[in-house]
Amino acid sequence: MKDKILTFIIIGIIAIMGNWVGYNVSPIDALPGMMIIVAVTILGFFFAKIIPIKLPIVVWVSMLALLITTPIFPGNASIIKVTEQVNFMALATPILAYAGLSFGKDLKEFKKLGWRIVVISLVVYTGTFLLSTLVAEIGFRLTGKFH
Amino acid sequence: MQENSLRNWKIHLFVLILVCVTEFIGVKTFNIGIGAIALFPMLYALIIGAVISLPSLKILKMKEMNVAANILGISFMLFVAKLGMLMGPSLPKIFDAGISLGLQELGHFAGTILLGLPIALLLGMKREAVGATFSIDREPNLAIIAEKYGSDSPEGRGALGVYVCGTLFGALYLSVLASFLAQTGWFHPISLAMGAGVGSGSMMAAMSGALAVIFPESAKDIAVFAGAANLITTILGTYICVFFSLPFTNYLYNKFEPILGRKSKKDQMKNIGA
Repeated sequence: MKDKILTFIIIGIIAIMGNWVGYNVSPIDALPGMMIIVAVTILGFFFAKIIPIKLPIVVWVSMLALLITTPIFPGNASIIKVTEQVNFMALATPILAYAGLSFGKDLKEFKKLGWRIVVISLVVYTGTFLLSTLVAEIGFRLTGKFH
Repeated sequence: MQENSLRNWKIHLFVLILVCVTEFIGVKTFNIGIGAIALFPMLYALIIGAVISLPSLKILKMKEMNVAANILGISFMLFVAKLGMLMGPSLPKIFDAGISLGLQELGHFAGTILLGLPIALLLGMKREAVGATFSIDREPNLAIIAEKYGSDSPEGRGALGVYVCGTLFGALYLSVLASFLAQTGWFHPISLAMGAGVGSGSMMAAMSGALAVIFPESAKDIAVFAGAANLITTILGTYICVFFSLPFTNYLYNKFEPILGRKSKKDQMKNIGA
């Protein structure tokens, strides 16, 4: 857990730098928001550990983040205000950088695959995205929401 | 996961440099005739990172790439936390879209099967097709297949194949597909955002990034609804896969394999023999 906390802090610092370069938010302005994001993430891991309901950690993290920003939570307005300083795209860039740097590890495995499974994997990803988008769109058109 | 498997300064340093350089370059759009291609920092970071990791360049050791993968496995939690904080204030709007949000999950779970299985059968795949198409084959899905059929079964190999391809190309492919679909003008940005909640953190990040670049005025809504859909996909994921996806894929396989499936060599031998 100590290593995880350290890792979140490092990623948080990297994201603050990206937020500065890409979105012109000074690190001083972004720091309080990032501290809350890191704290909520760590708390999510902690909750997953101590609460005996078996749910993926990402659910705990999401629920906690959602809860502290809803109007029922005291101080939600200031939490929203400081976390808004951290652009969500700036947080995604380091994640995909780590994803990129792990690319080479699966190449050997990939070279063993036949072309069919490669085609099917693209079809599978297309299917899940396309069909859900289509159903959502039909839903919106039928209910007249957002159109 | 070993505790020290997250420790590697070289990886963090590479990520810091990648982030600063790619954020500095910023969003670039290129018109390629049939539409514009939007390129943005996280996409450059993914691609340049992948090039750095190529084994032939010998910049990173296998151990270091494994550390990067381990960090990836927890890093998207920060992104998810950020999305959760955008969702809190937007709860009324999320509930307002409740019907569409609920129904589109059917698309997430059935989409892989309905589109994937027939094509897999037409390509001549057998039981591999079940493992490959019953879900998007991320870690939790692999566990389900391994438990039921074993990792070394045809089903297990199919699931693992899609897993490997998804790990390597999923985020990149889906973000390109998201830009492309966004530019057709057929879909509302929020519909596309919900579609992006595929249940994988890095893929969802790349897709919502692509959508936010194309619809900058809806960027916040995109983050909110991609996050909400992804959360529901994650919560329901395991249950739906065990109780619906896998039985449904098997049902369709038994029904359509005799029609769409190519005859196996054994069958052909029998025909010749008869």
